[in-house]
Amino acid sequence: MTISILKPGILTTVQDGGRKNYLAQAVPISGAMDNLSARIANIALGNDEDSATIEFTYAAAAFKAETDLVIACAGDGAMLVADGVQIPSERPVFIPAGTIIKLINNPEGATTYLAIAGGFEVPDVLESKSTYLLGCFGGLEGRCLKIGDRLSGGENLSSLSQKIIASIKGPKISWPAWFIPRSSLLPSDKKTIRVFPAGEFTWFTPDSIINFLSKDFFVGINSNRMGIQISGDKLSKRKQDELLSTAVCPGTIQVTGNGEMILLMADCQTTGGYPRIGQVAAVDLSLCAQLKPNDTFCFTEISFDEAEMLYIQQEKILQKIKLAVKNKFLS
Amino acid sequence: MPTLFSELDFKIYPLSEHAVTLTFGSEIAELTAAKIARFNLLLEANPFPGFKGCVAGYTTLSIFYNLLEVSSSELFGENGFEKISHYLKSLSDNSKLDGRNFTPKRIVLPVCYVADYGLDLDEVARNAKLAVDEVIDLHTRQIYKVYMIGFVPGFAYLGGMDERLATARKLVPRAKVAAGSVGIAGKQTGIYPLETPGGWQIIGQTPLEMFDSGRSQPSLLKAGDEVQFKSVNLEEFKALEK
Repeated sequence: MTISILKPGILTTVQDGGRKNYLAQAVPISGAMDNLSARIANIALGNDEDSATIEFTYAAAAFKAETDLVIACAGDGAMLVADGVQIPSERPVFIPAGTIIKLINNPEGATTYLAIAGGFEVPDVLESKSTYLLGCFGGLEGRCLKIGDRLSGGENLSSLSQKIIASIKGPKISWPAWFIPRSSLLPSDKKTIRVFPAGEFTWFTPDSIINFLSKDFFVGINSNRMGIQISGDKLSKRKQDELLSTAVCPGTIQVTGNGEMILLMADCQTTGGYPRIGQVAAVDLSLCAQLKPNDTFCFTEISFDEAEMLYIQQEKILQKIKLAVKNKFLS
Repeated sequence: MPTLFSELDFKIYPLSEHAVTLTFGSEIAELTAAKIARFNLLLEANPFPGFKGCVAGYTTLSIFYNLLEVSSSELFGENGFEKISHYLKSLSDNSKLDGRNFTPKRIVLPVCYVADYGLDLDEVARNAKLAVDEVIDLHTRQIYKVYMIGFVPGFAYLGGMDERLATARKLVPRAKVAAGSVGIAGKQTGIYPLETPGGWQIIGQTPLEMFDSGRSQPSLLKAGDEVQFKSVNLEEFKALEK
């Protein structure tokens, strides 16, 4: 199965579950910003959930089915449209060769994931297919996708993928009634981000801490895959200590010298020297990935124990979903 | 007498659901760095279920893991963080019995300090009121400690530069600094592993690839290593260049 890019959009890269084994050498994790969406798209196809997907940022992109395709999409940055029909997300979709698929604007969010049966095939770099733009490696030649790029799905399909494909293959675009309801895994309020206190939480003034946990903030225009720039009330420190550089990770909220917050995301550096006021609960990073410039959002505090519990709960639900898809086709 | 290996005490806090940070001290110090390197090796030799890897900071060691594997493991504790904390504390307690020597790896980095590469060598010399040769001599004489790798892939935070060489960053950063450039910023010296913008005073360039994503160990340097610079001429530089 092969697609070709007709219109790349503003930031389109190949991303998988991330590059997790080279942090000690300062290689960022990278991977899908909205990991939950990417995993759901893969699960819907019977792929390994961490298989490589294409991450589209916003819309204004288009691609062509060079062969018959079985794809799945998920995420809130765009809606996929082919032959005037909206392709539903979170389920497998059969697309005949020659079809042109356009991404049109979805005001709900920022990123959308396209998965293909077998996962997109690009060379592994340091055990991952994720693109790391600053390092110019991973994905397709270490860069954003551009017009004319051709990407294919892996040929070794799982037996589950083969059954899923057989269930929807036909002469025209088709999809099943079943889907994986991503919304059931997300809180109803997508603009309240849960955080727990980070290493330097107590370095800030009581007023700053109250503001951090109660005021509305806005997404700045300089946000990218490395981090989300947050504008709004500035935070001030109670003590003028300097932090010695130490490990940071996606979800870490740093406060820069001028009192502004930066929320680190997938391509963030592995160490940092800015004091850290909070850490976003891992389950809410997918919500952060869908924030776009000028969106209003706020933070709310939970305990670290609760964050751990929420993560384990979400993983258990995902395991159940995977099992349910498997049982549907392989039992 | 307290020895290096009998005091692996640390404070611990959660960094994320998948990582904890251990703090071994409050200041940049060789002894602290040695403890961090020591604990890193100890953990790699005695991993727990779900252990993924470590990231060293100046005074910290952060330990990354798979929370699902940790929480379903037999380790003692109510949740992932408790299980990890308990395991790491007992590892540290038991380490007092373990007297193995820890010898850091020393890496010699050839550096060409001629004008084409040492773009700011004159400025550093002028600022230090030294001759260019003296700057090179002071820079190559020291043994540097790799405290941590961070900032960009393969970038080493080195400690131990002769303070006479300390020079403020350039007022206007360069849009492009070549990979392998050796620079000075304040009291620090370091090597740019990738071509990036940068404001350090550039005094030379190494022909070695500090970072190569095609290698199994992509970063030439690792936290805990020692580094020495060796001055090479243009011919030697070209011969060493890939």
